[in-house]
Amino acid sequence: MKIKNNFLFIVLTTLFLTACSTSVERLDAQQEVDLSGAWNDTDSQLVATEMVEDALSRAWITNFLKAQGKEPVVIVGKIRNLSHEHINTNTFIADIERELINSGEVQFVASADARDEIRAERGDQDLNASQATRSMMGEEYGADYMMQGQINTIIDMDGSTQVRFYQVNLELVSMKDNRKVWVGQKKIKKLISNSKLRQ
Amino acid sequence: MKTIFLTFLLVLLSACAGQQRETNNLANLLTQQSPQEILTQLQSINPPERDYAQFHLNVGLLQLLSGDFPASIATLTQAKKEMAVLEATSISETMAAGTLNETLRSYSGYPLDRVMVHNILALSYLFNDDISGARVEMLQADVAMQKLASKKSLTGQLATTHLLAGIIYEMLDEQSNALISYKFSENIINERQLSVPKGLQQALLRLSYAVDRNGQYVTYKQRYQGFSSPMGNVNSQVFALYFDGVVSHKRQRTLMVPSGNGEQLIRISMPAYQHKTMRQTRAGLSSANNQVTTQLIENLEVLVREDLSKEYPSILLLTTTRALAKYHLVAEANQQDSLLGALMNLATVLTEVADLRSWSMLPANIQFAYLETTGNSLRINKGQTTQQDISLAKDSKNLLLISSLKTPVFHYQQ
Repeated sequence: MKIKNNFLFIVLTTLFLTACSTSVERLDAQQEVDLSGAWNDTDSQLVATEMVEDALSRAWITNFLKAQGKEPVVIVGKIRNLSHEHINTNTFIADIERELINSGEVQFVASADARDEIRAERGDQDLNASQATRSMMGEEYGADYMMQGQINTIIDMDGSTQVRFYQVNLELVSMKDNRKVWVGQKKIKKLISNSKLRQ
Repeated sequence: MKTIFLTFLLVLLSACAGQQRETNNLANLLTQQSPQEILTQLQSINPPERDYAQFHLNVGLLQLLSGDFPASIATLTQAKKEMAVLEATSISETMAAGTLNETLRSYSGYPLDRVMVHNILALSYLFNDDISGARVEMLQADVAMQKLASKKSLTGQLATTHLLAGIIYEMLDEQSNALISYKFSENIINERQLSVPKGLQQALLRLSYAVDRNGQYVTYKQRYQGFSSPMGNVNSQVFALYFDGVVSHKRQRTLMVPSGNGEQLIRISMPAYQHKTMRQTRAGLSSANNQVTTQLIENLEVLVREDLSKEYPSILLLTTTRALAKYHLVAEANQQDSLLGALMNLATVLTEVADLRSWSMLPANIQFAYLETTGNSLRINKGQTTQQDISLAKDSKNLLLISSLKTPVFHYQQ
């Protein structure tokens, strides 16, 4: 009888006494952490590394070196997000740029946005910097190739289980004649199961 | 001790019900005050954590209608995440709903909310000049609709979402995708036995002409007559969505009866929508060489009622079970001590409240119009007196959001 009498109070107490606390743990930036199954920093780094490795191991680079006697100059253009997620393509572009620059096998020029800022500074130098230290206008490196691409997804689902298929397509296009000299593709497949119960 | 606890509980629960009434009252005021004014009042309410999703849906929509697009994106993204998490069942919340009332369950959104949130987000992204973001929302809406799809009903299937997806794809020159989306929109409208708006008829003709001139275009030309052939568009295109009125919110229907032995009162409260015959208003668009009026594409008044009807069997079952449990609890308490029994009865009666939560600030219906013009300006008429002129760049693609509320016309142009 006593148990029944106290039942309501136990239930109510459980309801209103919800304890919450925030905890923070520092993680290694290289550590793989998947919380929601969505595109994350690990995917971005993984795809950038593998695709740049692939691009630099293909014939176009040796052909260019043979023909021109210098490393090709590359610029990263637009990478369109055609996926189901709000992916920040800027971080992906930054990963690709880093991999390309650090490879030492290609020269790399700044993107259109960055160039505008640099040109403004150069214009300012024209007026205000000494002759000896001034960077001249019209001395920029022109890119030989532009890297463009897109991120696509296909989602298949059944109840609370989802398969997310990401396909990243990148291509290198010759600035001189629009020839595609390299086309790369990287696929990632994720199985995501959401719990049917929560706290 | 028990008495103090019960009093505390009653105060807490009545405060929650009061907050819900306040939100619904603010929704009623939307036709008289500007969304900005209502937003300020709504943001002064501090909702319980379990109502965050509903609160963020309402705030996000008002932020869009107030022209604060980045804030609307942030708030609605939050609401979307909250609803996704709350899709899973909580045992403790189900227990609370089974013992006290339904409002102790977190608001996880009705099917309409789960799809409509993507529409409002897509519009916010567009007016924030981010069509890629809007495209992502349309893809997510498609996934949400697939999740909710059933052969027996149109629950969670919105013609507006497919229409908006079609417009976004068309703006991005993805003609096949646009045609498919317009077709889905047409299917839903037909299944709901509404008339296909002229703007959508034109879209189907325009896109089928571009994609499959000798096949699907011929079929659509026979189905939708009276339009000239869409010979390569050289004019400015205007897609206009019109948000008309404010959707109804739920009311509480209560039944209170004495028990068979007359020793206690039993109260049952259920949510219900009132019968409402709302007069639809329309928006008119006129340019130098063309004039159109918006036409109904989605009646949200019907959709909210369908969503509640679908939930009704489970609400009824839980309400009955709860009434039975409360009856036994009071009877037990009464046997021990008549004062405790009376107090317990009072508590069970006062805590029996219906769940009146919904996305109560949505429009009552959504209308659509399409116009092509060679002119560089457009006049928008809404209601009897309100007019606004919009400038159009030459050969541009434009999306307008017009609301019957006190808002300017929102314009995305590319």
